[in-house]
Parts: sequence; structure tokens; C-alpha cells
Amino acid sequence: MKKSLVLLFSVIAAVLFSFEVGFCRDVSKGIHVGDAGAFTGDAAAPCMEIFNSAQIAVDEWNAKGGIHGVKIKHIMGDDAMDPAQGVNVAYKFAADKLMYGVIGPPMSHIAQATLKIYGNANLACITTAASKPNLTEQGYKHFFRVNARNDAHGWNCALFMKRYLKAKKVAILNEKVAYCENMASETIKGLKKLGITNIMQDTIVAGSKDFSAVLTKVKAFNPDVLFFIATAAPDQAIGVRQMKNLGIHAIFFGTEGARDKKDFIAAAEGAAEGAYVYHFSPDIFSIPAAQGYIKEYEAKYGTISGFGPPAYEAMNILLTAIDKAAQDGQISRKEVIKYLHQTKGYKGILGFPVTFDEKGDLEGGATYFFKVVGNDFKQVAVMTGK
Amino acid sequence: MEYYLQQLPQQLMNGLTLGGVYALIAIGYTMVYGILFMLNFAHGEIYMIGGFAGWWVLHLLSVNNQPVMNAALIISLMIIIAMAVSGLLGILVERFAYRPLRQAPRINLLLSALGVSIFLQNLILNFQGARPRFFHVTSLVPENIRIIEMGSVVFSFMRVLVIVISFLLMGLLTYMINKTKTGKAMRATAQDIEAATFMGIDTDRIIVYVFLIGSALGGAAGTLVGLLFTQVDYYVGFQAGLKGFTAAVLGGIGNISGAMLGGIILGLTEALATTFFPAAYKDVIAFAILIIVLIFRPWGLMGEKIPEKV
Repeated sequence: MKKSLVLLFSVIAAVLFSFEVGFCRDVSKGIHVGDAGAFTGDAAAPCMEIFNSAQIAVDEWNAKGGIHGVKIKHIMGDDAMDPAQGVNVAYKFAADKLMYGVIGPPMSHIAQATLKIYGNANLACITTAASKPNLTEQGYKHFFRVNARNDAHGWNCALFMKRYLKAKKVAILNEKVAYCENMASETIKGLKKLGITNIMQDTIVAGSKDFSAVLTKVKAFNPDVLFFIATAAPDQAIGVRQMKNLGIHAIFFGTEGARDKKDFIAAAEGAAEGAYVYHFSPDIFSIPAAQGYIKEYEAKYGTISGFGPPAYEAMNILLTAIDKAAQDGQISRKEVIKYLHQTKGYKGILGFPVTFDEKGDLEGGATYFFKVVGNDFKQVAVMTGK
Repeated sequence: MEYYLQQLPQQLMNGLTLGGVYALIAIGYTMVYGILFMLNFAHGEIYMIGGFAGWWVLHLLSVNNQPVMNAALIISLMIIIAMAVSGLLGILVERFAYRPLRQAPRINLLLSALGVSIFLQNLILNFQGARPRFFHVTSLVPENIRIIEMGSVVFSFMRVLVIVISFLLMGLLTYMINKTKTGKAMRATAQDIEAATFMGIDTDRIIVYVFLIGSALGGAAGTLVGLLFTQVDYYVGFQAGLKGFTAAVLGGIGNISGAMLGGIILGLTEALATTFFPAAYKDVIAFAILIIVLIFRPWGLMGEKIPEKV
């Protein structure tokens, strides 16, 4: 009896210590921030842009002396776009007692798979791209986003297709992953609301490098617009090229992943000319406050596609919250979450003030639309749900 | 109904290209199985490395994505060098990963093959990175013949080229197997490796040939796919390997003509399944057909019913 009681108490103690329930830590022990994303695989390019941009923010904070005199360490967790590996990254980050916040995961299906793990560890996550609506509808308080949700994007894309592209007949091809499926269903909902009911929907397999069979189906449907909902740019480059090769005369409309000069425009070798893409962040080059970041990024890492700026912003917001939490020399993960919820009207480089609502969502999400002109993207419209 | 009918010619074209490529990959699986009774899981990676070899040739012979010499010559070089690289790699894999295990139980060979597959994939990931490589193929084909229109069927010149080259390679292989002395020795070795040794055939050398030819065809397929679909990355071998293996089983593993037929049927099935069903089900339908075939003909479409050896 005695023995089992001792055993029971030691197990409880071990559990309490391992999760550090409610414990504050001395800031001087170190400050870690994580970055979860697909740093290898088809989405490596945008994810590395996210990591590098967050790194610039960390470097700037460290150059100013860090937080409370402590230098911040930025740690990469590669999930290779695979939820199982994402879960491993989440456990690793949760077990790191000096970790106070994470940027990412940028993909909805991985954010979904890891939500509970980060949530139970009270580890704040700011995603810069995961847009599936229900990620913030599951009662967790640790999950924030600086990008608009799919329901906002889907509705805005429907508006754009009707008003700007004058679409009457729309074909939608989507990958079978959370973000793409959800984006497709939100867009179809929006299109129907706008009176466009002549819609064809089918699926593609990411990375299969050949979509000609399903595109042949699209050709027979003969739409005005093909909305190609894939995660990564290389797949959309193949999509637009094969669409042209099959003699389909629809307007190609790609997703935020396609806003990549190298992996979309250059890779499609001219086939992308005149195509449209949507993106959750505006043309960063037109925002005065972003010029310093752009200069730094281009000098160190090369071209910016659009995934980087929100990550720079998110890291700054996270570090601001950590800074506030560390004021008294003690810091806990819960404090960081508390201060993140207090983020109101943060003015950074994105051109709009960032305010989180009580769910952690960005208030007043907008969707930006770009057209491929030559070797660049030209912003042609902004939709804000109206 | 008309909606489906108007797609058919185009889908047959799509299926035939894909089928030709699957067939080339399937040959590698089937030749090795025919002699060693092992599944060479590394074959998908050999295909992938063929794609990279082709990409490097194109990359080194282009300036600003424009070819520096005759395009036909570049394409031939791409295919020949890819075949050479993959063929040599196949020989190396056989020498170092399979030959030492020749007398071991089959399961050891299988594990060794899996190990080679993972090793090669990570080798490429390490040295070539995770981002896809893009084949800048547009300027390889003169503008007026880039896209060919025949009635309702529209296809690119590359597509025709891929179909022609893959069938040409299959024709050459069939000729070699049936008409040459080495081919005869291969058939003898496949039939009974011990008896072939007694007849004075150097079976070790024949096995090297088998790996050379099978891998070279896989490498050619890698480059042909690169030319057609314009991208290669370190992970393409997995799916291609799976499809090639399926095609080999469908046709009757161990039978070379069966592998060709299996590949073409698999390609056509996928294209036609996409026509009539949601595209998400194309693999389900392709594999359902495989299962049905295997229920009624466990030895595959063209495989032979081999009596149990006593």
C-alpha cells in the first residue's frame, strides 16, 4: 500500500514537472522560439522564405540586445509536409522547456494534426498561412494567425471571379488536403451565392507531375475560369502549362502558393502569362514600412515571393509578447499567450494593423489578387468581403 | 454522353504516354524478378536519378534556358547519358547490395533493396536539394510544331516524342531478347539459372546485363518524363516505382512483353478512369482492376503458369 502510494505521488510529480504546469522560468536560462514548416519537399521554397524572414526579425531583436539581455535562439522543425513528422516536431518543441512560442505550421493539415499537442503544452503558435477556418474554432487559446481564413478567402475569390474575371462557368481542381479541400468548398459556396451554379469540381494529386487526364475533363467542360487549388508552386506551373498544351482557353487562377516567380512563372516558361493568383498578403514592395525588411532579405536570401513578410511580422509580434512576459525576469508560456491575445492594432510591415480576436484570428481579413505580367506579379484587386 | 465521348481520343493519348513510361519502368522490375526472384525496390530511385542525369545534360547544354546546339542532339544526349548513368548505377547496386546476398534468403535481398532505395533517395536529397528541377524544354521544339492539333485532339510535340521513343526502346529490347545470343542466354538464365550454368552460360555476367538493361530503360523513362512533365525531384521515384511494379505484376511478373502490356493497360486505365469517375478514384480503379486480374489469373496477363518445382 505504502509502496504504491509513493509510486503514485512520484508519477504525479514527474508529470507535473515534465509539463511545468503553471511554473515560471527564469528568463536568463535562455529563450527559444520554434519555426515549424515543410523546409524540405515541394513547399521548401515558401517555407524557407518563412524561416529566413523570421530569422531576420530574430537577428534584429538580438542586435538590439535580445530580450531582457538574453539572446533569442530560433529553432527549425522540419515536417516535410507530412502530418506525422509535424507531430514529432510538435512534441520536440513542447518538450523544449525554454521554448516560448512557435511560428507555423503554415499548412492547415499539419496545423490540425498538431493543434492538440501545442495546445496542451500551452505553447503559442502563430501561423502565417494556415487558413482552414476550424483551426481556431476548437476551443484552443494558443493558436493565432496573421493571415485571413479560408472562408474569407473563398468568398473573396468568388467575388473576384464574378466581378473581375466576369466568370459564368467555373472549373475547380483541388488537391485532397485540408487547406485545398476547404478552400474549394468555401469558394463553391460563395460562387453559388453569387448565382454562378455552372461549376465543375475534381481533384488532383500533389507531386504526381501529370494532370493531363483531369485537365482533359476540364477541357470538355469548357469553363471561363479554372481555379487550380494546389499547395505548392511547382504543381501549379505544371497545371498552367498542361492547360495551355491541351488548348484550354480558360483563365488560369492559382492560389497563394503560386505567387512565386521562380517556381511558377519561370517554371511554366511563358504559359503563366496572364494567369491570376490570390494571396493573403499585399504587394509588399509598395509598403514604405517594409523597405528595410525587403533590403535585408534580398541582400541575404534572394527574392521574396510573399510568404516571407507575414513571417517577419508574426515573429515580431511573438517576440513583443515574449518581451512583455519577460519584463519581471520570470516567464511562462501561459503569459506569452495572454500577451498575444492583447495584441491590438500592431503596426508592422504588412500595411494593415494586426489585431487578434478572442479566437486568435486576424480581424478584418483581406484577399489580394495578382496577375502575371512578364516575369512578375502585378496587384490588380483587393477584396474585403464586400 | 457526348461530354465523355469528346474526351476519349485525348484521354487515349494521355493514357498511352503514361502507359509507355510505366512500361519502361516495369521492364526493369520484371527482368530482375525473372532471374533473381526479387523485387528491386531501388528501381524507382534509379528512374529518378535518370531524370536528374537528363536534367543536368539539358542544364549544362543551355544558356539562359536556350539550347546551345541542335535540339535533337541535346534530347538524344539526354536520353543516352541518362541511360548510361542509370545503367551503371544498376550494375553498382547489383554488385554491392545484391550479389553478396545471392545465397541468402529472399527476404534479406528485399530488405537490402529497400535500404538502397532509401539511401539513393537521401543521397539525391543531400546533393540536389529538395526543390524540383525544372526542364526548360519549350525552346527545344520549334514554335510551329510545339502544339499539334488533330480535330478535337490537341497534344504537344513532346508527347509524340515520348510515345515514339518509349515504343522504339521496347522494340529494341524485344529484338534483343528474341534474336541475339545474349538474349537467348538471358531467357535460359531466367528459365533455370543452374541449368544455364551447366550449359556454359556465365550467369553472373547475364545478371549484370539484366541490371544494366533494366536500369538503363528506367533511366530513359526518367528523362522522358522530365521532358514531358518538365519537373524532377528526389521523391518522384516512389510513385513511379509503385506504378511500374504494379504494371509488372499486372502483365505477369518475369515476363517482358507482359510488363509492356501491363504498363500500357495501367496508363490507359488511369486516363479512362479519370474520364468517367472523379479523378480521386483513378488509383482505386486501377488497383481494383489489378486485384480482379490477379484473382482470375494469379500469374498475370501474360505470365506463365509455372509448375511447382520439386
